[in-house]
Amino acid sequence: MSARRLPVYLVLDTSGSMRGEPIQALKVGVQALISTLRQDPHALESVHLSIITFDAKARVISPLQSLEDFQMPLIECPQSGPTMTGAALEMLCQCVDKDVQRTTADHKGDWRPIAFLMTDGGPNDTALYAQMIPEVQKRPFASIIACAAGANAKVEPLRRLTSNVFNLETMDGHSFAGLFQWVSSTVSSGNRSMGATSSITLPPPPAEIQIVV
Amino acid sequence: MSIIKVKSIVTGQEYQFDENKHAGSGVMKDVFFDPKRNYVVQIYKSIQDANSMERLKNIVGKFRENIFNQAGGEYWESVYCWPTDIVTVPGKGLPALIAPIYRKEFFFEFGSTNNDMLGIKGKDKEGKWFATAHHRQRFLDERELGDWRKHLGLCIKIARAVKRMHAAGLAHSDLSYRNVLIDPLSGGASVIDIDGLVVPQRFPPDVIGTPDFIAPEVLRTLSLPITDKNRSLPCIETDRHALAVLIYMYLLYRHPLRGGKIHDPDPGRDEELHMGEKALFIEHPSDKTNRPNLSGMRPTDLPFADIGKIPSKIAGPYLQELFQKAFIDGLHAPHLRPSANDWETALVKTVDLIQPCTNPKCAQKWYVFDNSTTPACPFCGTAYKGLLPVLNLYSRRREADNYRPDNHRLMVYTDQYLYPWHVNRLIAPNERLTPEQKKPVGYFVLHQGTWWFINQTLTALKDITNKCDVPPGSKVELRDGLQLQLSPEDNCRLVQVQMVRGA
Repeated sequence: MSARRLPVYLVLDTSGSMRGEPIQALKVGVQALISTLRQDPHALESVHLSIITFDAKARVISPLQSLEDFQMPLIECPQSGPTMTGAALEMLCQCVDKDVQRTTADHKGDWRPIAFLMTDGGPNDTALYAQMIPEVQKRPFASIIACAAGANAKVEPLRRLTSNVFNLETMDGHSFAGLFQWVSSTVSSGNRSMGATSSITLPPPPAEIQIVV
Repeated sequence: MSIIKVKSIVTGQEYQFDENKHAGSGVMKDVFFDPKRNYVVQIYKSIQDANSMERLKNIVGKFRENIFNQAGGEYWESVYCWPTDIVTVPGKGLPALIAPIYRKEFFFEFGSTNNDMLGIKGKDKEGKWFATAHHRQRFLDERELGDWRKHLGLCIKIARAVKRMHAAGLAHSDLSYRNVLIDPLSGGASVIDIDGLVVPQRFPPDVIGTPDFIAPEVLRTLSLPITDKNRSLPCIETDRHALAVLIYMYLLYRHPLRGGKIHDPDPGRDEELHMGEKALFIEHPSDKTNRPNLSGMRPTDLPFADIGKIPSKIAGPYLQELFQKAFIDGLHAPHLRPSANDWETALVKTVDLIQPCTNPKCAQKWYVFDNSTTPACPFCGTAYKGLLPVLNLYSRRREADNYRPDNHRLMVYTDQYLYPWHVNRLIAPNERLTPEQKKPVGYFVLHQGTWWFINQTLTALKDITNKCDVPPGSKVELRDGLQLQLSPEDNCRLVQVQMVRGA
């Protein structure tokens, strides 16, 4: 039976500072995320994934697709250049408006989408970024998770976007693997046992991730 | 290798585990193998409070002994993965359970199609794979699928495991396809995650269940404080709902409540109403508003998503009655839900109604023979050809009584056996069977267009119609109207043969 779709957006920083090991580790992490989700029969039934990258420009490198049909896109990053996080949020809003199906009288729409933003710096388009924050918050997101990766990542702008901000100290394969494993369990948590006292929203992050409070 | 030694807080017995042999993680626990892989050590991620520790001590102690240290105790080893001891892990002092290792049939040997494109080979066979038509038909390697008869068999195992817990006054509280391992190849099942057992008033539940299996009253009262007397929490009645959902899904590959009805534009609220306060059986005979919406279906969802093509009626009359009780009468009236024992009995009787499909390509291979219309396999449409003997079973309490119908029929197929539980109505094919009772007493065979029953061990078999004895080693031809007295003893059966003609 076709289940409701769960749209998941990965919004990934590919600015120049990601070149080298970080971008490689990120790609491996995304690949592992897809494999892990495909091994979960619940996620395989519902999760639809889209990838948006941003450096000097924001682009949708993978439009929203089912896990079943998902093809790993080419993730590249330029030599150098600015980090247009605001443009990425603008793109995210456009995608959500276009992709996410609302429930109508005779059609079951999608689950509220989940967005996951990873950056290793701070927004260079600060005005647009500030302008897009209320726009993102107007969209029907179930959760927005932001990850500040590495020592140069700026936490403060992310905290204005969402209360779920995590800090990844290093950007090696091990950290990204832990991070995406956690993203995967967040995405599939809808099918786990639910607590009796309160509803669990996010599973506890792995040890490598610091929660920014 | 990094071996950690741990000691039982109950008996002082020593165990060990390999810190580097991580077997998996759940929400509550991390699991490690012992170096020889005889057991696992399930370490809690946090300190458990006094009440939880008391519950765990009871689970590995009194509750366990009450079930395992009785006649048929060995049988239960096969349907539960029941923890055996509690230890404390040095360092943080976290409690851990010692539990049996999952048997190898509960792990995928082949996994998915296309050389295991999903990479699930070696992973545990989570039930959801087998309970979803699309996953079965699109992803799973067909060597993993088993057949419909084995699915009946694994449902029997689940019903029996739940029955035994309930008989001991215990509720599992979180039955779901994650917490019941299944093997459709052998028809096996094993209930896991037993550490959350609920005893009303004594050990309250930690969890409210897993989506798809949470009873409607639990979802309906979710927003009330946990101490509110109107709040419904997991208990034996909610286990009965989860069990009914499991059985429905393992036999029909769809969820009994997930239809097309829309209650609210917000998906979260809609889900809560759809599975809770407003829950409605997709096959409700008069309220048809929750029928699955076929317009959005993929070819691999069919025919199972189409309740017109595969109504639950195809599971036979005994199960159909229980589905109605569970999802119509008892959906919002927990006390009306069928018990685990009702399910076990109906499933066992249904095994006697099935026929092999003659289409070698049929994915289900077995189906319940329905002689009300032209008999055909509901899954692939292949018609039954020729004459089929149906044995209607009657019994009497005492010699002076008349024979009364037992509401039990046996559909005959070649090489099918007759067992002691067909001869005596007091014998049930369950964990209490003696080795002697597991041996067949005779078998059926179609030879040159004639159906025969070959008597192997029934010493007092009588052909009532032709007024003659049928001693062991001899045979009797099955004809319409034939009456056979299997044994003259009290509670034993007389069978009335009906010959049904297929296409």
